[in-house]
Amino acid sequence: MKKLSFGFIIIAIAAMTATEISGCKGKSDKKDTTNNTTVDTTATAPVEVSSDEALRSGVKDATKDYPTVTATVSGGEVTLTGTLDRSKLQPLMQSIQSLNPKKVNNQLTLN
Amino acid sequence: MAVQQKYEELINAARSGGVKDLKVREQNNVLYIDGEAPSGKVKDQLWDIYNRIDPDYRSGDLVLDVNTGNASGAKMKIITETSNLNIRKGPGTDQPIVGKAAHNSLVTVVNQTNDQWTLIRTDKGEEGYVYNRYLGQP
Repeated sequence: MKKLSFGFIIIAIAAMTATEISGCKGKSDKKDTTNNTTVDTTATAPVEVSSDEALRSGVKDATKDYPTVTATVSGGEVTLTGTLDRSKLQPLMQSIQSLNPKKVNNQLTLN
Repeated sequence: MAVQQKYEELINAARSGGVKDLKVREQNNVLYIDGEAPSGKVKDQLWDIYNRIDPDYRSGDLVLDVNTGNASGAKMKIITETSNLNIRKGPGTDQPIVGKAAHNSLVTVVNQTNDQWTLIRTDKGEEGYVYNRYLGQP
């Protein structure tokens, strides 16, 4: 049985390889007429938003050194309340926005 | 499209600054800009533009996730304000502290876990996870 399935895998790999090679051939025959000079930045894949559980753990780490800040998470949105020195806002926002939230509501009072 | 227009200068700066795998997506009136910045300097420039277009990041219409990777083997500086940095057993502040990296000291990147945490080694041989915010260019 083991031998049989192993043989099948070999055949499957061989078939896939053959398909790939012929696929490449087809491509090289055609002239590429697409314009490669501009970067396509309009990606169509939907945005991945972290779960509330992951966001809660992430914001806990991100706000640990800012005890005057409270972060709440609901439906993928992070809401920041409390007070903070304006000079520390950018590093805090950088950490929060790298957690893949749906949205960040900054309601902090800045000093 | 309105939000993309608002942040057009930022998108253009990300392109010209050499941000890799740049993705610009708009969903429910929130703009998501993702990519990998070639340096911390480019990342900070983008954040400065963000702050200029949307002072104090109040509008909640942009999620800017352009990060710099900490390459394995690279030396990084501990850029805490004054204190020494906790080194933890795992990537999370709920993890036990296994050592301290001195303020302004250099550490070696073992590998970067995610956008928040990096596994590092100190000159004393202490190894564990530190928060990426406190790792800067030497």
